[in-house]
Amino acid sequence: MKTPVPGALDGIDGLVRCEEFDRPALGERISELTHTVYSHDQVYGDYCTIHRHIACPPRDLFRYMQDPYSLLEWTYSVRELRPVPGDDELLVGVDAASTPIYVKTVAHEGALTVDYHCAWDQGRELWMIYLYRIVPAELVLKRPGSVVIWTNCRHPYYAHNPFPELDTDRGRTWVGEWWPLFYGGHTVELDNLKAIVEHRAARGIPLGPSLLEAP
Amino acid sequence: MTPLSLLGVAGFMPDDVVPNAFFGPNVAAHRGMFTAPHERRHLRRDQTASALIAGAAERLIAKLELERARDIDLLFTNVALPDQAFTGCGAEVAHLLGIRPKRVVDLHNTGCVSFVCMLELARALLRDSGARGALLCCAQTAGGRVFAQEGVRHEVHAPVPGDGAGVGYVALSEVAPVLSLVSRCQPEFASDMVAEAPDGRRYWEPGTSPITLKFTEQRVAAIMHRGNAVVPELVAEACARAGVHPRELELLVTNQPNPIFLRNWREALELPPEKHHDTFDRYGNLFGAAIPINLEDALAARKLTGGALVALGGFSHAGDYAAAAVLRWRRP
Repeated sequence: MKTPVPGALDGIDGLVRCEEFDRPALGERISELTHTVYSHDQVYGDYCTIHRHIACPPRDLFRYMQDPYSLLEWTYSVRELRPVPGDDELLVGVDAASTPIYVKTVAHEGALTVDYHCAWDQGRELWMIYLYRIVPAELVLKRPGSVVIWTNCRHPYYAHNPFPELDTDRGRTWVGEWWPLFYGGHTVELDNLKAIVEHRAARGIPLGPSLLEAP
Repeated sequence: MTPLSLLGVAGFMPDDVVPNAFFGPNVAAHRGMFTAPHERRHLRRDQTASALIAGAAERLIAKLELERARDIDLLFTNVALPDQAFTGCGAEVAHLLGIRPKRVVDLHNTGCVSFVCMLELARALLRDSGARGALLCCAQTAGGRVFAQEGVRHEVHAPVPGDGAGVGYVALSEVAPVLSLVSRCQPEFASDMVAEAPDGRRYWEPGTSPITLKFTEQRVAAIMHRGNAVVPELVAEACARAGVHPRELELLVTNQPNPIFLRNWREALELPPEKHHDTFDRYGNLFGAAIPINLEDALAARKLTGGALVALGGFSHAGDYAAAAVLRWRRP
């Protein structure tokens, strides 16, 4: 058995622990925190987290997502990905009208996490970071398949393009202007992912991505 | 202090019913912000906003049995695109109605929520001047005057607006008291809606390309976001000031830019669809005329009983103005 060292939590204000808050006191707190309706801003203002069940074994889904070229299939507009010369991990493609998008994939098979570190216009500071965690649905929902949790954090660069001098795509709107619609945009893409993976998994087709070399 | 009462409302619609086919194949097939109504009315070239307003006002005068020389001494108008450059429509409306109001105010701003803003102004002016009653007149004319033009009517947003006029009559009285009124000006959004021509000319400069109304492309997401949030916020604030919960409203009436905003506003206020009455599918985006027209339509549909609470709310343009009011409807 372990217990915190006496005084280890001294001086930390605002903790709610059963030693100081009995059940009725906790009840008061959590009922105040629980609303019937939450505004879009409260839920998606600074962090955008969405989730789906996907009928596909977790390891297979992980291998599909770990391959950054799968983004060519399930994202709305990331296209023409190719390696950046001299960098083993970085890819560059196009997004929006003709904006360069740089992508580095950071995946951990043990944890079933796949993170795409991205940026428009430059590959030195990858700040648009899309975080995915795959959880075996058997564990959390007692059903086959995977649960995918996708989080995007509102990096300050969404508010202001830090490198306006690199913008050569005159037809585009800065990515951060769309943050208020990211819940919808991410949902569309996660549904793409679900549809593609479930279509192939249900038919025993290799998950892919299904690609060929283009000029 | 005697409260302001909204004693009645009436609408008047142009007789030209415009079907979706008018805008071209598939123009009216879009979703979201550009969801088209089933049909809408358009003002013809020879029809004026003043006549439309006078049509609504005559209906209201008859309905309330007003004695026009005695009962109407203030006149407010808001017209999306007035009949003449430079002059407002108010004096012409007064002429058509045969009245000589002490004051005529042609509001140039507050578009889609002008009816609520007029309530606020009328209350102050009535209290200040000792005037007897005010006619609040809102007319939408951009359907026929802008979105029916060749070169504009095939654009994705052209099927959404529709023309019409709505008027209300207010006086200081306890009969149908306005319990609370809140309004907000958000100057930072003032330049997000623009009237522009494809050739880049100013609207007063000569040219052959048609003028259209647009939101700046960069700001579409922000405008949607702001529109979603500001109306429920102000309606909730008006309810709080009136000492009621939004769930106690029997009716919510707003402007009607598109069905997405309508859905999101009533969801945010936890109101069922039947309590948020609109005429979007018949009349489209009526700009400022929507609130009085929808209120009259709701009354005809028996959605508001005497003594019940109704909230009026909305926002204008790209969010530069927003307002809301809560009132207790008159008993029969």
